[in-house]
Amino acid sequence: MLNKKTEKKPQATNQFNQAVAGNSLTRDAWRRLKKNKMAVISIFIVVIYILLAIAAPILPIYPYDEIVLDHQNLPPSFTQNAGTLLLEKRLADLYTQAWRSGSLEVSEAEEEMLWTWIDANETNKVWDYMLEKGEQMSADGSFTFSATDQRRIERLEEKLMSELKVSIKSLWYTDPISNEREKLSSLTTEQLIDLYLDLSGTDIDTLKDQYTREIEQQLLRGIKDQNPELPDAEYQQMLEREIERLSESRFDSLIKSNILTKITNQIVNDANSHLGQMATDESVLFPVKEEISLNDTISAEVEASRINERIYYLGTDYQGRDMLSRIIYGGQVSIAIGFVGTITSVLIGIILGALAGYLGGKVDYIIMRIVDIMYGLPYMLLVIIAMAIFGRNILNLFFALAIISWLTVSRMVRGQIMSLKNQEFIEAARSMGASTWRIIFKHLVPNSLSVIIVFSTLRIPAFIMTESFLSFLGLGVSAPFASWGSLVGDGVGSMALYPWKLFFPALAMTIFLFAMNFLGDGLRDAFDPQSKNQL
Amino acid sequence: MSDSDMNLKQPILEVKDLKQHFPIESGLLLKKQVGAVRAVDGISFDLLPGETLGIVGESGCGKSTTVRAISQLYTPTSGSVILNGLDLINASKKETLEARKDMQMIFQDPYASLDPRMTVRTIIAEPLEIYKRRGMLDTQMSRNDIENRVEELMERVGLNRAFKNRYPHEFSGGQRQRIGIARALALNPKIILADEPVSALDVSIQSQILNLLHELQQELGLTYIFIAHDLAVIEYISTRVAVMYLGKIMELSRAADPYKNPLHPYTKALLSAAPIPDPVIERKRQRIILTGDVPSPNVERHGCYFYDRCPSRMAKCKENIPQMKRVDEHHEVACFLYE
Repeated sequence: MLNKKTEKKPQATNQFNQAVAGNSLTRDAWRRLKKNKMAVISIFIVVIYILLAIAAPILPIYPYDEIVLDHQNLPPSFTQNAGTLLLEKRLADLYTQAWRSGSLEVSEAEEEMLWTWIDANETNKVWDYMLEKGEQMSADGSFTFSATDQRRIERLEEKLMSELKVSIKSLWYTDPISNEREKLSSLTTEQLIDLYLDLSGTDIDTLKDQYTREIEQQLLRGIKDQNPELPDAEYQQMLEREIERLSESRFDSLIKSNILTKITNQIVNDANSHLGQMATDESVLFPVKEEISLNDTISAEVEASRINERIYYLGTDYQGRDMLSRIIYGGQVSIAIGFVGTITSVLIGIILGALAGYLGGKVDYIIMRIVDIMYGLPYMLLVIIAMAIFGRNILNLFFALAIISWLTVSRMVRGQIMSLKNQEFIEAARSMGASTWRIIFKHLVPNSLSVIIVFSTLRIPAFIMTESFLSFLGLGVSAPFASWGSLVGDGVGSMALYPWKLFFPALAMTIFLFAMNFLGDGLRDAFDPQSKNQL
Repeated sequence: MSDSDMNLKQPILEVKDLKQHFPIESGLLLKKQVGAVRAVDGISFDLLPGETLGIVGESGCGKSTTVRAISQLYTPTSGSVILNGLDLINASKKETLEARKDMQMIFQDPYASLDPRMTVRTIIAEPLEIYKRRGMLDTQMSRNDIENRVEELMERVGLNRAFKNRYPHEFSGGQRQRIGIARALALNPKIILADEPVSALDVSIQSQILNLLHELQQELGLTYIFIAHDLAVIEYISTRVAVMYLGKIMELSRAADPYKNPLHPYTKALLSAAPIPDPVIERKRQRIILTGDVPSPNVERHGCYFYDRCPSRMAKCKENIPQMKRVDEHHEVACFLYE
C-alpha cells in the first residue's frame, strides 16, 4: 500500500520547458545532514562496519571458530608470525628458568628489579626483560643454553616448521573400470561402506559396531547440549527414544557422514605425514595445493599451509582463535541485533502506537495500559526469563529484545500522532473520505517519520549495549559464536595479562557506538533545525 | 425567476435541529460522563443551490463545529443533515461516502491544512485517488486522467501547473489556500464548506481568494457555507447570513439585512463592535457594550441563550427558549421582541 508509487513521477515543466522539481522536507534534511561533518564521518564508519560484517565470510581472515591450542593468547603483532612469537615465548621462558636455576647471572640491581616485578605480579615484564637480556648475552657469548634446552629449542623450531593445516577441498571417487570421477559424497552409503572396508581392511561387523557406537555418542552429545544436568539414566532413556524416532533415511545419512569423516581423517593424516616431510626440508613453498590418493579409487584435493606462519594482527584469545576475525564476526552478530531489534521494535511500536494515538478511547486505553504494565516489569529480568524459557540462541535473543523494546517506540509514536491528528490536514483527509489506514500510513506516519528515524538511530546503540551486557553476563551469544559483548566479557577476566583481548573488541564497539550516536544527533539536527543547541 | 423558484422548493442541504455535544468525562479508571459541552445546540437551516450562507458569530459560538458536524467529521449528537435527500447521520458508511463527494471543505489555516510531506499534485489528487480506490468515481480515471485533472484544477485556481511537484512549504499563504481550494474542487462537489478560508490571510490576498471563490461559484454553480468573523467579508460573499451565539442561530436573513436592519439584540451588539472605517462617523458612533462574558456552554439552558447579556431582556426570556420566527419573507429571528 505504501510503495504503490514506485513509478516515476511525471515531470512538470514551466513555460520555458524547464523541469520544476519540489524540495521535499526530507531532501532539505539530507542537505543539512551533509553539512554536518561528524555525521558524514559517522555514516562512513557505520557503512564500513556494515560492509565488513556482511563481507566477513569472503574476507581473507582466519576462521573465527578454529581452535588452535598452540596459539593461545598470542599478542597482537603486524610483523611477527605465530611461530616467531611462540619461539620467543619459549625462549623467554627458558631464559627465566636459567636465571632462576642460576646458570644465567644478572647484576644485583637487576635481581632486585625482577623480584619487585614478581612481587607485584607483573610476570609479563619479567619475561620481556629476561628475553632481551638473554638474547643479548647469547649474542655476546656470555651465556649458552644447556644441551637439553638446546634440544628443546631445536625440537620446537622443527615442530613450528612442520606443523601444517590441511584442509580438504574435494573428495573424489574414481571408478576402476570406466575411469570416471565423481564426488565421494554422491555415492550411496553401501558403496561407501564397501570402499572403506577395502581401505581399512576391517570386516563389516567391526565397522558396524564402530559406527553404531559413534553415532550413539554423537546423538547423546546433542541431547546433553540441549538438556544439561540430568541423571545418566534419563539420558539413556532419551537416547533410546531418539534412536527409535530416527527414520531410515536419517540413520542412513548419519552412517554416511560417519564414514566420510573416517575417510577424511585418514586423508588428513596421510597428507600430514607426506607434506610434513616436505615442510621440514623446505622443498616446497607453502601454502600448497596437492592431490592425494589413498588408493586407486579414492583421491582428494587438499590445501596445506603452515599454521605457524599465521600473523595475528589483533592477537588471539584463550583458545588460539584469531581476535580480528572474532571481532568482525562478533560485529556481525552485534550489528544484526542492533538493526533487527530496532526494526522489529519500531514496526510493532509504530503500528500499536499509531492505532492507540489515532483511534483513542478504549483502544488507546487498553494498549497503553499493557505498555504501562510491561514498563513496570524489570526489563532485564524479562529478557533473562525469556532467554531461560526459550533457550540460549541468537534468534531467541532477537525475540526477547524485540518483545520489550517496542514500548518506548509505541509511546513516542502515540504522542506524535496525537499531536498530529488534530491538524487540519488530517481533518481534510477525513473529510475526503480517507480510511483510517490511509490516514495513519499516508499522513500520520510519514509526518512523524523524522522523529522515528532519529529515535531508531539512537536506539541501535542501546540495543548493542543491551546485547553486550547480556553476553557479558553469559546470557547472550554463546561460543563458538561471538559478539562484541561476549568478547569483552571473555577479555575482562585476563585483562592484566592479555590486555589486547579486552582492548580491541571494546575499541571496535566504542567506535561504532560513537558513530551511531553522532549520526543520530546529526539526523535530529537535520530534521529539526530549531532543536540545534547553539547560540 | 421560475428557475430560482424551482430551487427554492428544492433545498440541496437541510439541517434540522442539529446538536453536537462533546462529553465531559471524569474518573480515574472508569470514565464516566459528567456533562457535555453543547457546542452546537439545535440549529436548523436550508441551503438552496447556488446560494452562499455566511455564518458569523464570536469565537467559540460553534461555527466551525456546525460545519464539521455537517460534513460528518464529528458524529452529531442528534438532528439530521439531509444532503440530496439522504440523511447523512443515519446513512450507512458507504452511502455517506458516496454523498460526501458532493460536499467538500476548505480549511482556515493554509499552513496546517496541507500535508507537508506531499507534493501539490498528490494533495490535489488525493480525493480522486481515494474515490478511485473505492470505485466510487462517476467515471473511471486513469493515471493520466488524474494528472490532467490536477493540472486543470491548478490552472483554474490560478496556480502555475509547473509547480505541481513542489511541496506546500514552498508556497505563500494565498497560494496554499488556492491549493486547498483546488483539492476541494477535485471531485466536482456541489457544496463547499469553507471554514474561515480567508481569516489567516493578508487583506490583499483575502480579496483575491474571495474573488476566486466568487468566480468559481459563478462558473461551477457551487453552493457555499462560508464561515467568517469578519462582517465585511460575509457581507461581500454571502447571499444569506446566519448569526450564531452559543451554539444557536439567533438571526437568519438575506445578506444585506443584518447590516441595514439588524433585529436581534445580539446582532446589533455584534455589528456595533465592528469599527467603521471613517473616523468622523466612528467617533460619533454609540457602541453597544455587552456586560459579562459568554456563559459556559456546559450547562443546559431553559431560557434564551442570550439572556445573561441581553440589554433588552424580559421576564419571559428567562424561562422560555425563543423559536425562530419569520419576520418577513427572508428574515428570521429568534427573539421574543418580535413575537
